Amino acid sequence: MTTQDLIDKLQLKPLSTFEQREVKGVFISDMVSDVMANARSGDLWLTVQTHKSIVPAANLVDVAAVVITGGKEVPEETVQLASKFGIPILWAPMSTFALAGKLYELGLRTP
Amino acid sequence: MLLIRQVKEALEAEVLAGEEKLDCQAEQIYASDLMSDVLAFGQPNSLLLTGLATQQAVVSALMAEFVGVVFLRGKRPKDGCERFAGANGLVLLGSHLDMYEACVRIDSLQRGGELISAAASPEVRPEAHFLSRAFTVQGGDFVNAGLVSTEIKSLLKTIGFDPVLVRRVAIATYEGEMNVVMHAQRGTVQLAVDPRRILVTIEDQGQGIPDVELAMQEGYSTATEEMRAMGFGSGMGLPNMKKNADELEIVSEVGKGTTVRMTFLV
Amino acid sequence: MSTCTHEWQMANVRFGLIAFEKCFHCGSVRTYFSSEDSLPLGDEYREGDHFWSRVETAQSFRFDLQCTRCGLIEGFGELMGLMHCTGCLEDCPVEQQRRVLERQRTWLVVAFGFLPQALTSPLPERKLAVLTEFFNQRRDTSRSTIKVVPFNLIPDLSRCAGEFLHDVGMLSQEPPAERKPLFS
Repeated sequence: MTTQDLIDKLQLKPLSTFEQREVKGVFISDMVSDVMANARSGDLWLTVQTHKSIVPAANLVDVAAVVITGGKEVPEETVQLASKFGIPILWAPMSTFALAGKLYELGLRTP
Repeated sequence: MLLIRQVKEALEAEVLAGEEKLDCQAEQIYASDLMSDVLAFGQPNSLLLTGLATQQAVVSALMAEFVGVVFLRGKRPKDGCERFAGANGLVLLGSHLDMYEACVRIDSLQRGGELISAAASPEVRPEAHFLSRAFTVQGGDFVNAGLVSTEIKSLLKTIGFDPVLVRRVAIATYEGEMNVVMHAQRGTVQLAVDPRRILVTIEDQGQGIPDVELAMQEGYSTATEEMRAMGFGSGMGLPNMKKNADELEIVSEVGKGTTVRMTFLV
Repeated sequence: MSTCTHEWQMANVRFGLIAFEKCFHCGSVRTYFSSEDSLPLGDEYREGDHFWSRVETAQSFRFDLQCTRCGLIEGFGELMGLMHCTGCLEDCPVEQQRRVLERQRTWLVVAFGFLPQALTSPLPERKLAVLTEFFNQRRDTSRSTIKVVPFNLIPDLSRCAGEFLHDVGMLSQEPPAERKPLFS
């Protein structure tokens, strides 16, 4: 499944500029430290944290994309930094819990 | 609506507080580690799923009038939290699952279908399978001698290894620990556990062993009279290590120190 | 002794807080890790010639790296955290390296030790190499790579506006304020 497939099927809104990428799994956390310790390369990272500090962390552990859930507004500086690293920031109006259920239906599993 | 007891079972969780509230209902699930969001957007009577194992998570759930908190990824809040939560009528659960797995399982519960799992293979529990610890052993410290092997023994027991295997590791590690106490200035004991084997590495800065082969013979000892009087030093324990470990490797340099590496197959 | 091609994994992960304390008399900064749930800011206290006051705390974690093949453990207890270079100072050697590396699709990360100890005994090169290796093993290196460099390259910490990779606004209801440089 690619980032574009997810955008199309779940009506996620892309905020930053990026290249398409294969999504292999899902990781949910709002803690940068948790992501640095446990997320895997190619994971789709779901979070309600919108501070720009998520971008270097996402880049460090090579997640495929970040989805900001709960319809939260994302600061412009977060989007700009993500575009610089080529990291997709996607926006979803639904909650983390609701989106997790949908991602499972689409077939995303924990490797 | 979800029965908390069902959630507990679906998440293979243990009850940390509020046992008597397990038959209460949770109206919604709120998954977040950001307590500011819990306070801002959480609906009353929700159940919080979080990886933030602190007092703040418990307090935030209370302020937002949640029914309970599930701590994920094997994290647990500090001791006083359970009492505080219990006294305020909040259920606390602890689960080893990660947030995605927990959400997927509860989602399947909510839809009334069969319980599903997000794991490609259901055996993925890396954190429980990989464990590593390092301990320091002080040479000449007979008072604390044996504490490291005791701790390793209880760690392995808690993980749930076969008691016979745990005993073998404990005995062999004890022999190694004693050698550091008796013969070296100081040393370290490293424990590394993975799904296939337990590895114990004991490294010391000591006098080294001039002839490893000779030391391997039963009864060979360089212990002083003082050590023998305390009941130690009937040998270097190397034969005992060899007997208990599946693999034993000793590298020693006279005047520098000794490294003993023992492998135990699971 | 080892011929193992190490494959690293995080081990002994401990979550907690990094505290920044400053002496307002002499301007020194010190940092430490605490496993407390919260550390209040402010409250000045005296220790020897210093009057320490906690100016910032950051949610963070400590870890070691362990080889999944041979079991070797590299301790990272002296690593305070990782910083993202914001390119704030034209003439900073870190910024100069960053610009060169980014052209080759290598992202630079700055490793910090605890202060003041790390100013005199920096993180050894070998450990930084292990850290670099670990992060690269975790990613698809055909797309880009990571390089970890020591913070000691930064000539003047008081002018550095780098961003620590840490959790922001976890506990408060206020939106996180724009942070000032940590060492100024």
